[in-house]
Amino acid sequence: MSAGTADPARAQLDATVIAWAREPVWRRDDARFEELALALFAFQFERCAPYRRFCRERGRTPGDVRRWQDVPTVPTGAFKELALTSFPRERAVHAFHTSGSSLVARGALHLDTLAVYEASLASSFARHVLPDLAPGAKARFCVLAPSRREAPDSSLSHMFDTMVEAVGASTSGHWVADGALDAERAVRELDQLYREEEQTVALCGTAFAFVHLLEELERRALRFALPPGVRVMETGGFKGRSRSLPRQELYSWIGDRLGVPPERIVNQYGMTELGSQFYDSVLRHPREPRRKLAPPWTRVRLLDASRGAEVAPGATGRIAILDLANTGSVCALETADLGRALEDGFDVLGREAGAEERGCSVAADALLADAGS
Amino acid sequence: MTPEDVAARLAALRVAGAELRRRPARSVIDALASVLERWRDPLGPERRALEDRLPGVTGFSAETVRQGLARALAPWSGDALRALAERELGRSGDFAAGYEATAVLLAGSIPMPTLLAVIAPLALRSPVLVKTAARDPLTAPLAARSIAAIDPALSACVEVVSFPGSDGPCTDAFLAADCVVATGSDATIDAVAARVGPEQRLLRHGHRLSVALLGPEATEGRALEEAARGIALDASLWDQLGCLSPVAVYVAADTPSCQRVFASLADALAEIGGRLPRGAVDPAAAALAAHERSGVELRAAAGRPVALRAAPDASWTVVCEEDASPRPAPLHRFLRVHPSGSVEALFAALAPIARHLAGASRAGFGDDTSRVEDRLRALGATWICAPGELQCPPLSWPRDGLAPLGSLVRA
Repeated sequence: MSAGTADPARAQLDATVIAWAREPVWRRDDARFEELALALFAFQFERCAPYRRFCRERGRTPGDVRRWQDVPTVPTGAFKELALTSFPRERAVHAFHTSGSSLVARGALHLDTLAVYEASLASSFARHVLPDLAPGAKARFCVLAPSRREAPDSSLSHMFDTMVEAVGASTSGHWVADGALDAERAVRELDQLYREEEQTVALCGTAFAFVHLLEELERRALRFALPPGVRVMETGGFKGRSRSLPRQELYSWIGDRLGVPPERIVNQYGMTELGSQFYDSVLRHPREPRRKLAPPWTRVRLLDASRGAEVAPGATGRIAILDLANTGSVCALETADLGRALEDGFDVLGREAGAEERGCSVAADALLADAGS
Repeated sequence: MTPEDVAARLAALRVAGAELRRRPARSVIDALASVLERWRDPLGPERRALEDRLPGVTGFSAETVRQGLARALAPWSGDALRALAERELGRSGDFAAGYEATAVLLAGSIPMPTLLAVIAPLALRSPVLVKTAARDPLTAPLAARSIAAIDPALSACVEVVSFPGSDGPCTDAFLAADCVVATGSDATIDAVAARVGPEQRLLRHGHRLSVALLGPEATEGRALEEAARGIALDASLWDQLGCLSPVAVYVAADTPSCQRVFASLADALAEIGGRLPRGAVDPAAAALAAHERSGVELRAAAGRPVALRAAPDASWTVVCEEDASPRPAPLHRFLRVHPSGSVEALFAALAPIARHLAGASRAGFGDDTSRVEDRLRALGATWICAPGELQCPPLSWPRDGLAPLGSLVRA
């Protein structure tokens, strides 16, 4: 049984997903996925009242839905407005919050257990960021994000600290403290990494934190040629930030200042509202085109931007995800992000930083992102 | 285009500028007044060319471009320019001059700011180097063509260049002008500011938004219908992408009043959509709008007091919100109606977005109207009008608080 769940049906679902996430080999199993997805939908339909009413208004109930693709999707933005939980709120043991300004409500994922989340994140992170780490070996983590202690409501900090606890070497640490880059520590440790040639090092953080680090190195006129065991894992965009730059430029800058080439830089696509994450394939499949790979307990669909039907293969569409690791909330989510299906994975397109707007109105959520700053 | 090309154009403008400054200011202003009159003429060749070709490059529907130009150009007469020049540049019988050269960095796809940006420096006898917006390569060259048709000598003082915004060397060559007018997102303008020296004049035109405010007297009957039609027109022209496009309607009245405004606005948007079809929407904007619509449906299912009406093809959307909290504005004819209860609550709701405010339409405040206008001005609104007039500000509109001509006077 999961730590915080008293519901036997839920505990069974959690146990099944955790077991799947812990399997050493990832295998796509459509029948297994569908069975579990429909069971989870039926569970959440029953336990989450707003979701149940939403599904009914769309004419979809567990009695009618026969395919996982027909499970009604909830927009991720709704987590800013509603507590979407499939357990009694008083059983919540943790809440992760989305980033945001003081003006706008922040999204929140309430959890009654962290077990499913941690099992899912550990499996994906290890597979895509540390594929070369031998069993039982440790990796050094240099984390460009605050610690879990400093940012308890950040799912990203929780993810990094979970990995540090699981496979982190004693030399691992955070380069962000008290909300700012600890530049002295970063420079000192980069110098160590450069000289000591440690086996496996994961330099991870948000894209914006990397920009801060690179600016600092530029200011100090420092360049490092980090050894091949160092890989970069970056995530997140630049919405509401004072500076933005296209991902290609960021990678080229990382290459210039840290000596880490693009083939050793992994982007993670994830969000607070999801129990699972999606990573670039570059370290796992170095000779294949870069794409995001989905864990077998998730499915990604690309939907027509307006109507919601699935787009033709290869066409651009809105990313919708069914994530079995979302046992405590709602498993079928739709995002406002654009993507394109690529064979066994997908690509997140997003808006290129610096792309020109058509008009001169404050675009969309840019207003809300910076209004509180 | 190479940095050397850009530098050569700027050098040529400086030479032409010396000649321009020898001309009587009034003759230059008269020529520019004739240029505006040429644009106001529905049969004017450049205006017709723009009406023909702008939809193809920007995605706006042909009717939106035609109506948008007609309404916006109506108050931009030659006499309006002469009066503006007298007021902002008049110096005891003469006119103030501008800088040796002015560089104008354009953005977006709405033609009116571009037309004025090309003409304004010339009114101060400052030659102008214009970088076209990636989204609108047409308006600036057509503006230059209209100047050449009216006054060939003056056209030597306009150069239109085009290069990618990411081209650093070209950008540096471009920004070498004595006065720089930058239009674009805050990030773009910050990047320009970092490249401009302290001895140069920099004028910033960042991205802005507008709102509509309705008082109790505009929440029913004919007054409501009129206000809703006006707001729908303001939002539909330029597909809500302009800084004078309202993104939200704040109703200083009770909930039933707000619901009536919501219903009336939906009807008005549906009606206007037949006459002014919405243009193309890029996938990211369509995705955001769809995401927001789903979110409203979920909130409604959860029992929250929100309502949604949208066209079957999603070409317009109206949301009756549960409160006055700001929420994402997907644009492209997506309006939220916020209940505010009272004028005080309405202004409290506007305060957080005040620094982005460009304009506001208002109706239904009766005796409180001038007080509401004063408070809007205090918040930063620079164009306040009745619903339906937001998209046709006078030539003298101080966009971003900058006098259209006076801000370009050499310090």
